[in-house]
Amino acid sequence: MLTATLRAMIAHKLRLVLTTASIALGVAFLAGTLVLTDTMGLAFEQLFGKVSAGTDAVVRTHAPYTATDGVSTSRAPIPAAVLTDIDQVDGVRHAEGSVTGYALLTDNDGRAVLTNGGAPTMGYNMPADEDLRGDVDLLSGTAPDAPNEVAIDATSAEDHDIAIGSTIKVLFQGPTREFTVVGTVGFGGEKNLGGTTSAYFDTKTAQKVLGTPGYFDTIGVSAVDGVSQAELAKRLSAVVPQGAEAVTGETVAQENSDAVQKDLKIVGILFMIFAGIALFVGSFIIWNTFTMIVTQRSREIALLRAIGGTRRQVLRSLMIEAVMLGVAASAIGVVLGMGVAKALTTLMDLVGFTLPSTSLQLEPRTIWVSLLVGTLVTVVAALVPARRATKVLPVEALRESTPGAEKPSKRRAVIGLAIIGAGAAGILAALYGGADMRIFGVGLLALIVGVMVALPLAVRPLAALIATPLKLRGLPGELAKQNALRNPRRTSSTAAALMIGLTLVVSMGVFASSLKASFGDVISDQTNADLFLSSSSAQGPGFSPSVIAAAKGVDGVDKVSAGGWGQAHFNGGNTSYSAVDPATAEEVMNLEVSQGSVADLGKDGVMVSRSTATAEGWKLGSVVPAEFAVSGKHRLHVVAIYDGKGWISDNYVISLAEQNAFAGPQLVASGLVTLVAGADKAAVQQAISAALADHPDAKVLDQKGFEKEASGFIGQLLTFVTVMLLLAVLIALLGIVNTLALSVFERTRELGLLRAVGMTRAQVRAMVRWESVVISLIGALSGAALGIGIGLALSQALKDEGIKAIAIPAPQIALYVALAAVAGILAAVGPARSAAKVDVLRAVVTD
Amino acid sequence: MSVITNTPQISTASAARAEGLSKFYGTGDAAIPALDNVTVALAEGQFTAIMGPSGSGKSTLLHMLAGLDRPSSGEVYLGDTEITSLGDKALTLLRRDRIGFIFQSFNLLPTMTAAENIVLPIRIAGRKPDDHWVASIVETVGLTGRLSHRPSELSGGQQQRVAAARALASKPQIVFADEPTGALDSKSGAELLGFLRKAVTELGQTVVMVTHDPTAASYADRVIFLADGHVVDEMHAASADEVLDYMKHLGA
Repeated sequence: MLTATLRAMIAHKLRLVLTTASIALGVAFLAGTLVLTDTMGLAFEQLFGKVSAGTDAVVRTHAPYTATDGVSTSRAPIPAAVLTDIDQVDGVRHAEGSVTGYALLTDNDGRAVLTNGGAPTMGYNMPADEDLRGDVDLLSGTAPDAPNEVAIDATSAEDHDIAIGSTIKVLFQGPTREFTVVGTVGFGGEKNLGGTTSAYFDTKTAQKVLGTPGYFDTIGVSAVDGVSQAELAKRLSAVVPQGAEAVTGETVAQENSDAVQKDLKIVGILFMIFAGIALFVGSFIIWNTFTMIVTQRSREIALLRAIGGTRRQVLRSLMIEAVMLGVAASAIGVVLGMGVAKALTTLMDLVGFTLPSTSLQLEPRTIWVSLLVGTLVTVVAALVPARRATKVLPVEALRESTPGAEKPSKRRAVIGLAIIGAGAAGILAALYGGADMRIFGVGLLALIVGVMVALPLAVRPLAALIATPLKLRGLPGELAKQNALRNPRRTSSTAAALMIGLTLVVSMGVFASSLKASFGDVISDQTNADLFLSSSSAQGPGFSPSVIAAAKGVDGVDKVSAGGWGQAHFNGGNTSYSAVDPATAEEVMNLEVSQGSVADLGKDGVMVSRSTATAEGWKLGSVVPAEFAVSGKHRLHVVAIYDGKGWISDNYVISLAEQNAFAGPQLVASGLVTLVAGADKAAVQQAISAALADHPDAKVLDQKGFEKEASGFIGQLLTFVTVMLLLAVLIALLGIVNTLALSVFERTRELGLLRAVGMTRAQVRAMVRWESVVISLIGALSGAALGIGIGLALSQALKDEGIKAIAIPAPQIALYVALAAVAGILAAVGPARSAAKVDVLRAVVTD
Repeated sequence: MSVITNTPQISTASAARAEGLSKFYGTGDAAIPALDNVTVALAEGQFTAIMGPSGSGKSTLLHMLAGLDRPSSGEVYLGDTEITSLGDKALTLLRRDRIGFIFQSFNLLPTMTAAENIVLPIRIAGRKPDDHWVASIVETVGLTGRLSHRPSELSGGQQQRVAAARALASKPQIVFADEPTGALDSKSGAELLGFLRKAVTELGQTVVMVTHDPTAASYADRVIFLADGHVVDEMHAASADEVLDYMKHLGA
């Protein structure tokens, strides 16, 4: 039985290759993702381990909540005087304060040294003690030792030709200052710290420009020989003041590494989703293949049954085939996964997220998870066709079966339509009936599943529609349509794989273009601004408040209103908040304040969105508990309730002054500029631009430019997602090749007959080609329709979050559909060639 | 059934002929001849049957004459066209436009109706069928009322009659039939043969049929006997018994 199975597998090489490839690609993505996350995790762990290598213990203030809450921890500073007490502790070799903060380097021409993808630009103090520096090494020059000296990371120095001895400006939250570059710094063999820029100052200078004189962020301590980290931390705990703690250096390194890995986890989950989609699409091909195997072997199976083989034996033989296929394909997938990991690293490098280099990590977990998942998907996808095979009646062995048209069952229609109806009802209930958003998610899923179930019913009308222009192609076109209709179930499961890919790509496209359109609407509806100040790099953290002052001084400018952003705990939950300038906010924004006034956002006031106020039953004067990492708990009072979400989409809004008080000095996220009546916008923009020459961290844009910049990010994200989803589309195309190859194989006699009565090879090729186009267009059109629907539903669902406009990117969708047709033609090349090669005599000779 | 009335004058022109036709399977010393230096001419407007025991090469001869297979040596002429040197495309077009086929089984496309199957070669050529002509053929073979049926809804005999109608619909120069009654019961077989006979007699169609059934052969004007890849004899207007006797003599 096993040899029979093996022999059958080898006999159909193309089918074997295609099915293997479809599973292997999905598994490769899964394995690649696992390899990549392991590699990234290890790389950062090593990096943080190295950087903090010489620090045995750290003294710092308590944070009310830690990085694992999803908020990057910032802590209240610790007074420098604590250092004196620490030095007294037995076992301390050396202790030094450390200061970290925002510092933006500029190049020789005064332009900002920007990072990619919003990586932070950081400043640090350089510890005088070499051990406390850890693996922060001077690669050239000397360490900063004077108020006007700076050492910068080697990448910034190399990329921007900043030589040692040159003078550059460095921007801070406070005033900009000039420094002489005295050295370049590396990090345990890397030239930068995970894509960030770094500036090192002597401790006194760092306190002044990055923090507060007389205070440190943390204090690093190294132990004398023979004192363990734990022991040191324990001894230090005895002397640290109220509200502070002493922890081991390892703990801090672990915390830092955990924080980064938490961020990386999101990337990992994203990739994992794509891997899941790829595997799901791949399972359709497995399903199809096993259905075909069963059909082809029905006589063989029936014969086996007739001579006494039990149903279980037949099932077992097919399952063995599925397991062998699954294991082999998954193993290939794991190997390919290393390549995928490499490619993803390159891709992330291209978008500016450079990973610290370390060799790719293939953990045993990656191997067994990949093998297990790949095999499981294969076996599950093969199970239903295999079970059907066991129902083959022995009498069928005698019947010569020509694959004729098969009508989709009524039961399938009823079930499919019922699922679609339930899904649509769930979506509508969530959108308009106030039902839970979880029902929306379930509804979307049901809609997709329902369409997949009912797709065979749509095959006939869709094929008729698609084939209308094919009539012009004469008989080959018509036969192509008939062939595609012959087995609607097979056609639809082949097309469904493509449909899923297209559904996802198109729904993302609709969502993104609605987002873009809404952004334009939001800017013109929710703000009265004529010009916009924004961070120099598209996803930068913001700019110094001094930019606002500089813009205010320009002739023709009426108001400049700064806006900030942050994360904190409000009403018990971690959430983002906005910060505005209460004096000008209502003049530059349409906040639609229904109760209270933004101007009252002074001390301990908060403005909340109407939806939150309604949900929580808050009125003016209600108390909103808040907790900030730096300053701890606050009791805020509702002073205004607003409705005009869009420009601001947070549920909690405080004043900039409050933000500074609660969260420490902050960068400004954006600035809205209005002009005095009669001022020439272009001239003022130019004037502001000139005024910002000394502020390379910000730029001024008109509405169009601002829209473009903000939506540019959306476009980038969309491109990324689309590229990832193309993998699923690629697998779907393999499925089309697979199905066509089988169809050609099944119809050998028919093809021979057609050739005998005068169909030319070119006509045969055209026939197969058009069949492929019909199948791929069925997938593409149904996918486009479903994708538009889902995209619209998603946009509608996020209406409250500021997606107010709906836009369908018709040319883009049309392009996808056209590409699917072209892909169909390409998929048909091989099968068409083998169809044209069919031996005429095979059909006419009865053996 | 040996009485043949109104036999048209055998014209001097041949509809198809083979000259020195050989076909070997395998190569070198192991080569087995299926046809060995066969020369035969098939007259226009005649019903010719090719007979012989299994392995005599009769089907191979038909395939060569119909341009479905290529000989190892020798030449085949269809009318005045030498077809063995034609390329695949030219040969395909020749089959489409000048030859009609009836095979033993699997003559029809399962997805098409009887009517669509009948005009298949014409549609492949992208031409419009001659409706009048097609209607008269359909009537002759007795398929009126069955035209919208698919092959799976037709009996074996009806399917073969559809095939016969298709073979004639494009007014070919010659119709080749390869064991057309091989899978039919005797009544259905007789109907089909009667129709072929009628096509020759009344329409002047040239028909060449391979068969191993003496009764089928008795419908033909001329019976050519093949054995071991050679033409061994021929008969004119022979009865089924005469053919059977001769076949016994051949040792079939």
